[in-house]
Amino acid sequence: MKIIATKEAFLQAIHSIRANTLRSSLAALGVVIGITFVILMGWVLSGLDKAMEDSFKAMGTDVMYVDKFDWAGGKSWKELRNRPNITLDQTEKLISRLTSAELAVPVARTNRGKIVYGNQVYENIAIQGTTSQFSLTPSGTIDSGRFFNDIEDRMASNVVVLGWKVYQTLFPNGNSIGSTIKINNVKYTVIGVATKQGTTFADFMDNIVYIPLKSFLGTFGKYRRNFSICVKAGSTDQLDNVRAEVEGQMRMIRNLKPWEENNFSINETKTFETAVSTIRTIVWVVGIGMTLLSFIVGIIGIVNIMFVSIYERTKEIGIRKALGAKRYDILIQIIFESTTIAIIGAFISFVLTSVVAYITATFLPKLIPQVGFLSPMIPLDLLGIATVISIMVGIIAGLLPAMRAANFEPVVAIRYE
Amino acid sequence: MDESLIIKLDNIIKRYEMGENQVLALDDISLEIKKNEYVAIMGPSGSGKTTLMSIIGCLDTPSSGTYYLDGENVEVMDDNELADVRNRKIGFVFQTFNLLPRENCIKNVELPLIYAGVKADQREELAIQALKNVGLEDRMFHKPPELSGGQRQRVAVARALVNNPSIILADEPTGNLDTKTGDEIMKLFHKLWQSGHTIILVTHEEDIALNAKRIIRLRDGKIIDDYVNTHQILIEDQKNI
Ligand SMILES: Nc1ncnc2c1ncn2[C@@H]1O[C@H](COP(=O)(O)OP(=O)(O)O)[C@@H](O)[C@H]1O
Ligand SMILES: [Mg+2]
Repeated sequence: MKIIATKEAFLQAIHSIRANTLRSSLAALGVVIGITFVILMGWVLSGLDKAMEDSFKAMGTDVMYVDKFDWAGGKSWKELRNRPNITLDQTEKLISRLTSAELAVPVARTNRGKIVYGNQVYENIAIQGTTSQFSLTPSGTIDSGRFFNDIEDRMASNVVVLGWKVYQTLFPNGNSIGSTIKINNVKYTVIGVATKQGTTFADFMDNIVYIPLKSFLGTFGKYRRNFSICVKAGSTDQLDNVRAEVEGQMRMIRNLKPWEENNFSINETKTFETAVSTIRTIVWVVGIGMTLLSFIVGIIGIVNIMFVSIYERTKEIGIRKALGAKRYDILIQIIFESTTIAIIGAFISFVLTSVVAYITATFLPKLIPQVGFLSPMIPLDLLGIATVISIMVGIIAGLLPAMRAANFEPVVAIRYE
Repeated sequence: MDESLIIKLDNIIKRYEMGENQVLALDDISLEIKKNEYVAIMGPSGSGKTTLMSIIGCLDTPSSGTYYLDGENVEVMDDNELADVRNRKIGFVFQTFNLLPRENCIKNVELPLIYAGVKADQREELAIQALKNVGLEDRMFHKPPELSGGQRQRVAVARALVNNPSIILADEPTGNLDTKTGDEIMKLFHKLWQSGHTIILVTHEEDIALNAKRIIRLRDGKIIDDYVNTHQILIEDQKNI
């Protein structure tokens, strides 16, 4: 019996909304703004999330870098700068002593590489000197050609593996293998191209070339050079073990007293994540704050219009009550109406944001490559959340007017003109 | 209590507070109406006819006094129970029709059935039947604003009888109609009375009241007269003329 009246209340709500299109759209406006906010924010954040996750995966979740600097940015810059460089000797000692790690590879790096190919000049490229074993880490995965081998390591051959971005820039037509490029005026032969490290969000990771460590030291010099060691634990379960051994060995190599702090950092993708999560939290808090605000506006909009609507329909409500409508019937009719308005608002937002997402993700990265992490599709779970929120807004907004209408005295309401 | 009693009012008082003033709309009304009676309530404007109808129709509650409807004490009912009683036992016909202007005739007539929980297809069937009974089968899909006053009141009558209530309450049903269409509505009431409904009709027009079998006169919220109508117009005879 309730079901029939409920179904009727729903049809009635649709009827009433259609009869007052303009008023209903005005009421929905706040919800449209609010939901659009939520969806767009969630869309950007989920894009960022995915981009970061991809980058971490590319770097390897079981990989740590022993480095002078701390990636998480927890320490002061001055303190970090005053740390001693990690010397080649220390690097070699650590690598030879580690027993628990699957792999430990020396890395030397400069960000001031200058690459010339034909008449193209490409500056401020990261040049990384390393050994053939680097090819066994996720970052050293090869897309085409090959990585250098240990003979080339020992011979200090002038061979180079290009990062994805460098390859794309210098060789837009492909076919780079065998070409000769100049790195800081020294000729190198291209033997391979590394796989894309994930995303345009972290495209600095692809803006790099790899050369044998000895060649690197020959070209860029070994004097006062700072090294880092890429340590692959083998699995994430091994991370704690390996980290403990790395720390112990480094402290021993550096003769640190028990009371002295580490003067080096062990960086993992996890430390990176913690650093970024703070930013994400801030974005969420700001976003949620703005969303709440627009929802309050949305609710107030619907409440006002629903009040107008029920007073305008006082007589109708009186007639319905006279003919046997109970409070529940009126209550449900009004709440259905406000909820339907809110849901319609949400659907307008879905269409709006989908179009915006599609256009933005398709065309904007061509102008601003950094936004390449944006997905052209709004994630489905976001639409789900937005629907739930809009239903809640509709119910909350409808409650007060609905209760007022349900309490109309039939004898008074029916005489209302 | 007498089985055949359908309405029993005992010392009903209805007071309206208007700021400092008090209006005594009903002043100690006691009244009994039996099943299948045809009663006209008469009286000058402001004498309390509508107020009395609202109380009999469970649209309003008295300030004091008791009211038994079909043996049930209305005083103890809450809003929802009153709504249920209105729905099941009473069919209303108002002077101003009180139809929903945006809904067609069928939908309007269906309203009491919706709140009675009747399924959609059955509802439509009953509504169409009721509209046929009042001779409106060719206007079923029209909306009230597209109909004449007489047609609108017939829709209202169809709505009042669709739920097959025992009592039909009509408050000045011909007040907004010309004499001819008014008479047509009165013929409908006569038919309803013949089919067993109890009919209570409010009017201030003497010739309309003459259709009823019993006439009650109100003044200043009191019953000043209550008698069997001996000058009954025999509608059957009229028809034969
Ligand atoms: N809601 C109300 N508030 C205040 N006074 C009312 C109300 N309804 C009716 N009255 C008063 O009660 C008296 C009876 O009114 P009513 O029952 O409408 O009379 P009738 O239908 O016979 O014209 C009148 O004096 C009227 O002014
Ligand atoms: Mg009146």
